[in-house]
Amino acid sequence: MGEVNQKEKKVDLRKAQSPESIPGVMTTTSNAISDFLKKTPAQDFINWGRKNSLWFMTQPMGCCGVEMIATGCAHYDTDRFGIIPRNSPRQADVMVISGYVTKKYLPALKKLWDQMASPKWILAMGDCSISGGPFYQSYSTVQNIEEIFPIDVYIPGCPPRPEALLEGFIQLQKKIEAKKDKGSEY
Amino acid sequence: MDAKKIIDSISTEFPDSISNTLIDSDIRISAYVSASDVVNVCKYLKDNLQFDHLSCESVVDYIDRDELENVYHIASYIHPVVLTLKAILPRDNPEIESIVEVYWNANWYERENYELFGVKYINHPDLRHLVLPEEMLGEWPLRKDYEGFPQNTAKNLV
Repeated sequence: MGEVNQKEKKVDLRKAQSPESIPGVMTTTSNAISDFLKKTPAQDFINWGRKNSLWFMTQPMGCCGVEMIATGCAHYDTDRFGIIPRNSPRQADVMVISGYVTKKYLPALKKLWDQMASPKWILAMGDCSISGGPFYQSYSTVQNIEEIFPIDVYIPGCPPRPEALLEGFIQLQKKIEAKKDKGSEY
Repeated sequence: MDAKKIIDSISTEFPDSISNTLIDSDIRISAYVSASDVVNVCKYLKDNLQFDHLSCESVVDYIDRDELENVYHIASYIHPVVLTLKAILPRDNPEIESIVEVYWNANWYERENYELFGVKYINHPDLRHLVLPEEMLGEWPLRKDYEGFPQNTAKNLV
């Protein structure tokens, strides 16, 4: 009896959520589909697509930003890995923290991160974003950035060469392929 | 207009407020000014001695003497002399008249000094924070006794 009651409750809930539901037709949400797909081999195919289109946001924050822009230029040809610089957070998959985060800039950075559409990943580029770097003991630098953002790959260097940033992207691709990235929950 | 003439001129015009005058070289002179008379001295410099622009305005914290020094670098496009004016302020409640009405570019210098040292500029047109976030007002991070530095808190030391 108890089970039946529970089932009835679930049906009622569904009706309450979507008042225009048709009898006999099961409705679902995109979240539910996504959660179902994560358990099937189809996710491997999706991840293959995701890892080969890591569009990153051109959001330079310091001298590392110059290297990031250089990485996006023609010389390093990141397009062969599907890595393309984008100007808008709405079109980007990857945010690169490319410099020290000051207390004043942190709210803006959070807003940019919130504006990006999921699935999204985040890279910490350079010593400044990892630990503070030369601005380690500054009065207005935010430390321990990994407590605020789910950072997948740390790229040390001051600044890292474009090859290093590219290697970071490739490591992120490997993490996505192995389903160990922090951007999506498995 | 040479260094000696400038020093003599301001010393005779403001005998009470100008002190400790020093001629470093032909082009660098310095003097202490009393904080209450800064605007009048600056007006005199601009109108009579051809000091037509303010190069820099900054603050130095002398914690041993329990004093702040407000430092003005005033220069000219007509003669080569740069005048360093210093005004001594008490450390617990530093207040000085703003010189924005004389040198307009002092506006942002004074805002920066306000957020970093807590010097209050009287009659400043828009005295608020400049670079730091507003929440940090009151901490005065460039004072010598500031203790808000993050000490060894980063986990990812490279």
